[in-house]
Amino acid sequence: MTALDRDDIGTRLFSPEVADDPHATYDQLRTTCPVSRGTVAEMPMVFVFRHEDVVSALRQPELFSSAGGTIGLGEQPLIPVEVDPPQHTAYRRLLNPQFVPREIERLEGDVREMVTSLIDGFAAAGSCDFHLDFATPLPSGIFLALMGLPKADLPMFLKWRDDSIRPPVAPEDFEGAQRIRAETGRAISEYFRHAIDERRHQPDDTLLSRLVHAEIDGRPLSETELLGMAHLLLLGGLDTVTATLDCMIVFLAEHPDYRQRLIDDPASIPGAVEELLRCSTPVMVLPRAMAAATELGGVKLEEGDRVTLVLGAANGDEEIFGPSSVDFDRNPNRHVAFGAANHLCLGAHLARLELRVALEELHRRIPDYRLAEGAEVHFSTGIRQATHLPLTFEPK
Amino acid sequence: MTGEAQVPACRVEIDRHTCMGSGNCSYWAPGVFDLDGDGVATVVGDVNEHIDEVRSAAENCPTAAITIIEAENRTI
Repeated sequence: MTALDRDDIGTRLFSPEVADDPHATYDQLRTTCPVSRGTVAEMPMVFVFRHEDVVSALRQPELFSSAGGTIGLGEQPLIPVEVDPPQHTAYRRLLNPQFVPREIERLEGDVREMVTSLIDGFAAAGSCDFHLDFATPLPSGIFLALMGLPKADLPMFLKWRDDSIRPPVAPEDFEGAQRIRAETGRAISEYFRHAIDERRHQPDDTLLSRLVHAEIDGRPLSETELLGMAHLLLLGGLDTVTATLDCMIVFLAEHPDYRQRLIDDPASIPGAVEELLRCSTPVMVLPRAMAAATELGGVKLEEGDRVTLVLGAANGDEEIFGPSSVDFDRNPNRHVAFGAANHLCLGAHLARLELRVALEELHRRIPDYRLAEGAEVHFSTGIRQATHLPLTFEPK
Repeated sequence: MTGEAQVPACRVEIDRHTCMGSGNCSYWAPGVFDLDGDGVATVVGDVNEHIDEVRSAAENCPTAAITIIEAENRTI
């Protein structure tokens, strides 16, 4: 690989080739330009690659702000990810009780039942499209049940998810992408305006209804706030675990020795989940905007600077994790695949549960899976998700 | 000369104002931390028996609400 022109950092980082196989690029950027100015879609951008600097930025939300449309997908800010403290803390206190480990543990039976029924759907065939037949319906089904939304609406949600996160335009067509995202944001708002209104009149014990009837600082949430939360929960619930399952199964299909360990020793699966999160880092980057000037990794940052924290590069940092190797016994595992600090992924414990149960049952039921002959699996950029992941295995 | 034993005794302080009730401490140090009725982290187990897990919980607390007051070695 040749040295990079700094203007190329953004283009390279968000190229399809890097989404498919990011590690060499991450390593090169982290070691040659750990904090670096470049551009994304001609917009000036500061990239941060080292673990220490990424964590330091995440731990200073008063400087590295999430507010002001850093993600820019909805009609209103995504709540809580595009909000800073102290308001962020109030929103998280409202949402957290549903997602703490003790509450999530109660879902294990439901998750296992869904995993089992999905595997039942293809076990006898000896083949499946893992992305479409498993990685997509598992987290979607759990999300719809948690939120209390009808299963029949899932195809529409999945289209909205894709149009938001990976709009169907050429990689360099940023205006086209923004137009599709704006239209999708309006459609999502419209859908949830109705759903919120229904729950207002007919409360139930699902998450959306609880939020509609919740209070924050002694007042109900506004429609804008409810829409911001619903939109975020939709994207988080439908996209990230799907992407993570895709990444994990491709790695395990291509590394039979690691897969054998999971078959022989299911107790190693929780550690494997953490390590595969580290190595694949499905959410490649997090955006921030400077609320004030500071210095990071020896580089001066000015108020208003846009910053991209490259989680994937941080997760490969030799200073923290040693020379690159995959180690299911790594403990503690200081990966930042869920982010860190106050914005640490709300759904992390739910994700861990879904991923663990999925790996347990897949390696019990169809342990000999491999990529279908001639299959080429490609990952989307930004959040690394496959479009198709054909597997074959002995019919069961 | 009688035998002397050094017994480290760390304790933990939780900033109830800063804690956002994510429950991550109960992931890193299950049995030591839990959430109370207000959804705020609280110590329910033996900090010193699980001090490595407690350190991970403090390091990974999203709002840095957990402070470990390091042991002053007490001579018994």
